[in-house]
Amino acid sequence: MSAINNKKNAERFAAIAELWNSRAKGLILEMNLKIEQANQEGVQIRMPFNPDFCLDEEGTMLHGGVLTALLDSAFGLANFIAIDSIESMATLDLRVDYLRPAKSRADVLVFADCYRQTRHIAFGSGKIWFDTGDKEEVARGTAAFAITRGTSGSFLDKLNTTGPDK
Amino acid sequence: MNISDIQARCDRVPFFRFLDFTITQADETHLLAQMPFAQRHIGNPILETYHGGIIASFMEAIASICVLDDLNAAPAKPINLNVDYLRPGFAGTLTTRATITKKGRRMASVETEAWLEDEAKPVAKALFHFLLV
Repeated sequence: MSAINNKKNAERFAAIAELWNSRAKGLILEMNLKIEQANQEGVQIRMPFNPDFCLDEEGTMLHGGVLTALLDSAFGLANFIAIDSIESMATLDLRVDYLRPAKSRADVLVFADCYRQTRHIAFGSGKIWFDTGDKEEVARGTAAFAITRGTSGSFLDKLNTTGPDK
Repeated sequence: MNISDIQARCDRVPFFRFLDFTITQADETHLLAQMPFAQRHIGNPILETYHGGIIASFMEAIASICVLDDLNAAPAKPINLNVDYLRPGFAGTLTTRATITKKGRRMASVETEAWLEDEAKPVAKALFHFLLV
């Protein structure tokens, strides 16, 4: 790929990440997600520890559902990055394996990538670990998405122009 | 197990309070619960639909309670899950029914369904495996 293309891509990825962050709402906002990487290789997102997401009052263990939600969110961003002019996207199915108890107060990291896209379908894969140094995987997931490709006005353009406070 | 005891058990879990569901029916192999829509449950910022992860979390929560013999026991350990998203989860009260498909000494398999107004039009269905030891 040429240097010009690389630069163009990097700018596009940065714009998508910026938009995703600025228009975050609902659960994405509650999870307080920070995008650490967003490019052809995939996306990496950080979620700080949150006692509201725990199974116990002492806050020693995250509920598995939070990891599933985190994977689903990361797949969404990975699709926006990987697929040009995506108009709409719906999760068809999601499979998650809980590999270890989510027992840590460290930040949670998720990596996700869109490893195959066809005209109508995107396939995603991802993994989750705590930012503790050992990088032991806590969960792994895969998902399939039904996508619609637009000729004009991608989903992100819509986000930009028809969002609630525009 | 009576419903108020189950609800009291759920209310001790911070994440279950975040989901904010109410147990409405319970028997040996089924559990039914309802969850009102909240801003913090939104996934798609344009359509303002439920986040897929919230629907899956709600179903996992109900499934995990459903397999408990004893409300004072440690929570069942989730092994994995498979969710089918069938319809958009528009804003509204979501109902989930969990049904135990098979429960052995070590393992349990639980099916769940979630719907908005019409039970015949589920928003999602899922299958969960739990380790009971």
